[in-house]
Order: sequence, then structure tokens, then C-alpha cells
Amino acid sequence: MAAEPLTVALAGNPNVGKSTIFNALTGSYQQVGNWPGKTVEKKEGWVSIDGQRVAIVDLPGTYSLAAYSVEEIIARDFILNERPGIVVAVVDAANLERNLYLVCQILELGLPVIVALNMSDTARSRGVEIDVQKLSQQLNGTAVIETVGNRGIGIDTLKAAITRAQTARRQPSVLDYGDVIEAEIDQLQARIEADPVLAHQYRARWLAVKLLETDDDLRAHLEQMGHQPLVKSADEAIARVTASLGDDPETLITDRRYQFIGQAVGAAVTRPSQMAETPSDRADRIITHRLWGVPIFLLLMWIVFQFTANVSAPFVDWVDGVVTGPIAQWAAALLGAVGVSDTWLESLLLDGVIAGVGGVLVFVPVLLFLYLGIGLLEDSGYMARAAFVMDRVMRVIGLHGKSFLPLLIGFGCTVPAVYATRTLENERDRRVTGFLATFMSCGARLPVYVVFGAAFFGAQAGNLIFGLYLLGIGVALVTGLVMKRALYRSAPPQPFVMELPPYRMPDARTVGRQMWERTRGFVQRAFTVILGCSVAIWLLLAVPRSLNPGEFNTVEPQDSLFGSISGALAPVFAPAGFGTWEATGSLVTGGIAKEVIISTMNQVYALDAEEDASASETPTTFVEDMGSVAQSFGQAVILTGQEIVNIVPRTVNIIPGINLPEADFLGAGEASEDTSALNTMLTRAFTPLAAVAFTVFILLYVPCMAATAAMRHEFGSRWMLYQLGYTAVIAWVAAVVVYQGGLLLGIGGA
Amino acid sequence: MTEPRTLDQLSPGQKATVKKVGGQGAVRRRLMDMGVVNGVEIELIKAAPLGDPLEFRLRGYHLSLRKNEAQQIEIN
Repeated sequence: MAAEPLTVALAGNPNVGKSTIFNALTGSYQQVGNWPGKTVEKKEGWVSIDGQRVAIVDLPGTYSLAAYSVEEIIARDFILNERPGIVVAVVDAANLERNLYLVCQILELGLPVIVALNMSDTARSRGVEIDVQKLSQQLNGTAVIETVGNRGIGIDTLKAAITRAQTARRQPSVLDYGDVIEAEIDQLQARIEADPVLAHQYRARWLAVKLLETDDDLRAHLEQMGHQPLVKSADEAIARVTASLGDDPETLITDRRYQFIGQAVGAAVTRPSQMAETPSDRADRIITHRLWGVPIFLLLMWIVFQFTANVSAPFVDWVDGVVTGPIAQWAAALLGAVGVSDTWLESLLLDGVIAGVGGVLVFVPVLLFLYLGIGLLEDSGYMARAAFVMDRVMRVIGLHGKSFLPLLIGFGCTVPAVYATRTLENERDRRVTGFLATFMSCGARLPVYVVFGAAFFGAQAGNLIFGLYLLGIGVALVTGLVMKRALYRSAPPQPFVMELPPYRMPDARTVGRQMWERTRGFVQRAFTVILGCSVAIWLLLAVPRSLNPGEFNTVEPQDSLFGSISGALAPVFAPAGFGTWEATGSLVTGGIAKEVIISTMNQVYALDAEEDASASETPTTFVEDMGSVAQSFGQAVILTGQEIVNIVPRTVNIIPGINLPEADFLGAGEASEDTSALNTMLTRAFTPLAAVAFTVFILLYVPCMAATAAMRHEFGSRWMLYQLGYTAVIAWVAAVVVYQGGLLLGIGGA
Repeated sequence: MTEPRTLDQLSPGQKATVKKVGGQGAVRRRLMDMGVVNGVEIELIKAAPLGDPLEFRLRGYHLSLRKNEAQQIEIN
């Protein structure tokens, strides 16, 4: 008996500390994935209670079990179809009424429920006293346990209650909806019970109530199963109730639930007659103040941006250095030991596989810092305020206030921007935001603008760069407006209706867990795509155009398949002024990662005569390598500290007339690539006008493969293909307009 | 009879009782799920810095609604 597995579902409103209860119950025995076919996170964990193995499933945070949001459908379907043995409903003790509404709905489903009265310490400090015994009585004897999840208080009692609830007599809670509605419920219930399949699948009374509540999801489902007559009689019942009571049953049923809750709370809770203003309320008066609200918002967004773009940079460099340095060398040594040095296999493993692995791993620090920022914003309660402050602006392009952050992060890197869209509840907003984020010029595109700007415009390079950033924003705006008008015109309005939760101290464990789990999710999923692309490009560069096996992997780029494909594609870009195989080839590799555009150009414009310095380095021992890996890690830690410190001068320096120096802990200064030789080659290969058209194309064309992988992961293959197609077309059109327009105006031509 | 008063017409600090939740579909359902039902007392705290959305307090928590959503809620 004790060995029988038990599933416990954890339900509750958002922001009630559900994840702290989940973490306290399951410890480190948990696994994070997605609900099948959905982008909503599914957390599952295990705990052993008195020798019995118990699976804990964390349902998405919802306010209701109506089926209007993805989260609600997931939570409801899980409870209905998987029939967990027990549902633990986590409620915020300081905010009982709204929280009990969900509990009420779960009770109506007829499963054993335990109420975890969380954060009761906070409630008590505000003078709210809850009589647990009375509350339990009011809820028809449902067990009520006081917990403080983030301090592990009440968890043992909760575990004991889980054991007890299995054997306890189940009393389905029956809410009396009044004579008129009850009569209709009885009739519908009888019809449902007459159908053995339906009666097996649903609790008849629950289904009857739901039908009277006009639950669209269930109605559609029933009609699909051929129960049109049942739906039709429900419609008649709705009409009868409305005629006799003057209000529709949906409203009356909801009113009744809140009435029931009002009674329960009235009997069990004593509140001070005058609720004192909480510290959270005081903080909010400043944080969302009429005048300070917007500057504070911009400042916080800027800090998160700095974290993902600059603070992570030393670790990105470190990961890159370790993968291309010691790891590549060790791999080379290992391959030498098994006798395959200087073969195509070595080249495949070093230039294809290891380079691809590095291409994934460099995103790890970026994502960790992104999730740190997002975790702090979400867990502190600020994220809802960000939406509150920004909603008016984002609505212009049909988006939600929360869309601002992903777009801003897009200026650092598109990959974390795509993942940042998870903070949006609405799937449509998420997709559009992710779509637009690619037009925010990411950090990897900047070096291209810098090189071209310096080569063609000298001191005026800044204008080109600034203009490109503005163009990206402009294209995003127009795209957003078009999508709002054309694609989503007929969609029903989405509710903004959003809770502004009280501010609280972020829970380190919850934030840390999220950073780790979400970053791991990217690595797992991006590996295949990025590795595949990396190997494919290697192959294209290795296979000679002549297909002569003797030249495999020794062929020059222009004579490889890569060269011929680039050459074949080149005429497409002739109207934009850069129809050469070299330019096209660097665009192709740029589709893998934007940061390699310049290095590809270095290669194809035949500048690689001077061999890479790293190749001629003196051999090092394993111990020395490990030492240098550790040392460079230490440097990365110091530089990260430096970047955090530098957020201050960088922020203050935005104000004109102030120029604080930035910290430079290691005295290294800014490293810069030597590109003077490339500059000369570029001025020969491009006209100034073609150079502008080329940078415009770089700004707008397909996102890199890592971003593409992230988009496929988040939005699905079809949406990813739309995105690739749209960006390719818009980039080409824009580049051609720039070039041809320039020619017409007689500027910068040949 | 004048036009019924709606929730967006409150001034900051003012309280009112909800008389009828209008609108339809997802917006209405969500409003009711969040406890905006007949007879509940609701207070306007403030408007967002850019004038919209609005912040309300009801049942001991804070709720933010866009003006066009608040317009669908009749008050006494």
C-alpha cells in the first residue's frame, strides 16, 4: 500500500510563493521541462514521505480554472485528465479572498484538497489574524496548513497532511447556487449521468455548472464529441435563468462563489479596522510615481541591459578563449596521439564540431545574466509595474507593456531577447515581440558597422552607426503596425487586467534555480541546430567545386562549394551594389553568427596570408593550460566586477556634460582588432553607397543560427520560417532601395 | 437618467461599489475571476505615469486595468 505512487498537484495564484513551497517540498529532486506542445514551463519533483514516493507537479500559476489562458487550460486539463491524488492549493494569507476563488473551483472538481496558507507571517505583521480551524470549517473541513515557504516553515506539517489526506473520507464540496440555478444544474446533471462515457470522464455536477458558466473551451470539446444536444439544452437553461433572475448564470455563479468566500473570510479572519499603509505601498508611491515612474523604469531596464550585454562579456570572452585555446589544443593533441593529425577528420572535429560547441557555450554567460536580471525583476514584483508604466507606449504597436524588456535586450543579443518574451502571458504578444526583437541591432552586428564606418566615412562613422540603429527601430515599428493591422485585426481583445503584487525580497533559491534551469534549456535545444550548421559550413568549405576527392579539405575558399554557392547567389545582390562572391560569402557565414562576418571578410579578401598567431604558439603542458584557464577565469571574475562598477559611470554619462571615468581594474584598456589592411581592401571592393547598402542588409537580414534556434524552440518551426523569409525580403528590399535610391540622387555611386 | 457612472470616472483615492460588469468574453471572465463582481468595493489608487492604465485596490490587493476595461464596469 505504502509503495503506491501518489501524484500531488500544486496549484495557486501567481505571486503567492508557490515555487518556494515546491522547492521546500522537493529539494533538489526536480526536473523542469515544458508542458506538451506549450511554451509554459512544467516543473516536476519528487519527495519521499514516510517511505512513499510522491510526485509533485507544479501547475502554472492561475487565478481561475476558466479556460481563457494557456495556463488555465493546462492547470485544468491536468487536474481533470491526470486526476492527481491530492491538490495542494497555495494561497497568500495576506490576500485570502481572491486566492480562495481558485480553491473554491478546485473544491468543486471533487478532489481532496489541502490549503497551504502561505506567507502567514507577513499577513500577521500587517495585523491580519487568521483562525485556521474556523477557516477549515468554513471550507467544508478542508485541511488548512500554515506555511512560510522561503523559510521552510510548515513543510513537515504539510507532508503529514498529504499522508493523511489519502486515507481521509472525501467530501465533495457543494456550493448552493440557489433554487433557480440548482434546478437547471439537476436537469443537466441527470443528462450527463445518463451518458456513461461523459459520466466517467467528468464529475457530472461540475460539468453542469461549467456549461451554465458558458465555458467556451468545454462546449467546443463537447460539440466535437457529438454532444450538441447537451450544449443546446445548456443554452436553453442559460436563457431560462437569465429570463427569471435578470442576470446570466455566469455572473450569478461567480457572484455566489465570492459570496461564499466572503462568508468564510468574515468568519475566520480578523483585520485591523484601518489597514496601515504597507511598506510595499509606500515604495510603490515612488516607483510608479507620475514623474519618477518612467525614469526609474528606464534606469532599471538599462541596468538589465548592461548585465546581459557588458557584465557577461568577460565570461563570454573566457569561454571563447578556453574553447578555442586549451580545449582545441588538447583535442588536437589527442587526435595526434591517435594518428589523425592533419587529416580532414581533425579539421572536422576542430573547425566544425568544437567551433560549434563554442558557439553554443558563449551564450551561457549571457543567458545566466539575463535570467538573473529577469528573475530579480519578476520575483521582486517589479515586472508587473514595468508593464503598468510602459503599457501606453507599447500599445501603439499593439503590444503589452511587458514587451519593452525583450526589445531592449535585443540590442545586446537576440537570443536572450527571444527568451525574455516568456515574461509575456499572451502567446500573440510573445510572438510579435520576438519577431520585432531581431530588428533591434544586436551587439554582434556593431563591429561590421564600425569597420565599414571607419573604412568609408572616417570621423562620420558615428552617424552611420546611429542611423542604422534608428533604421532597425523604424523597421520594427512599421512591422509591428502592419502585424497589428493585417494579422491580428480580427482577434478578440486580450485582457490587460493584471495584478500588481506587493513588492518583496527576491528569493535567492528561486532566482538561482530559474537561471540554471532556463539556461540549460537553451543549451540542450540549441546544440543540435548550431552544431549542425557549424558542421555544414565546414563541409561546404572543405568540398572542392571540382568534387575532386584529392582536394578535399585543402581547397581555397573560392574554389570550394562554399565559393560556388556564394558565387551563384551573388547576382541577387547586384541591385544592392554588392554582388560579389566575397560579400555574399560573408553574408552566408554571418547567417551562422554575425560576429564572424569580419573574420570571413578577412579570409576571403585574401588577408589570411599572415597565419594566425595562435598557431605558432609555443607548446604548453596540460598543467600550464589548466593554470591559464583558472587564471583567465579569475580575470573574468575581476572584469565582471569592473563591468558592474562601470554601470554607474556609463549611466551617469548619459547626462550631457558629465564624463565620469570608467574603472579599469586590470589596466588592459579596450582591445581592438587590427583591421587597417581590411579597410584598404574594402574601399577597393565597395563604393561608399554599396557599403551603406551592405550594412543596412546586415542590420536587417536573417537572425544568426543561435537566434533562429531560440525562435524555433520558443515559437515553432513555422513561425521561424516566416521570420527568416520576412527578414530576408525586407533586408534585400531596404538594401536595394538604399543603393538604387542613392544612385538616382547621384550620391556615392561608382 | 444620466449615463451610468463607470469605474474610469473615479478620482484617485475615491471608492465605489461595483454595480455591473459589462463587456464580454475573455475580458469580462478575467475581471470576474479577479473578484470584480457585483457589490465589491473598489478604490482608484492612481493612474500610470502616462495616464493609462489605472491602478485599483479591491479585496486587499492591487489590480491594474486599462481605461477601456474600466469603462465597462458600472459603479454606484
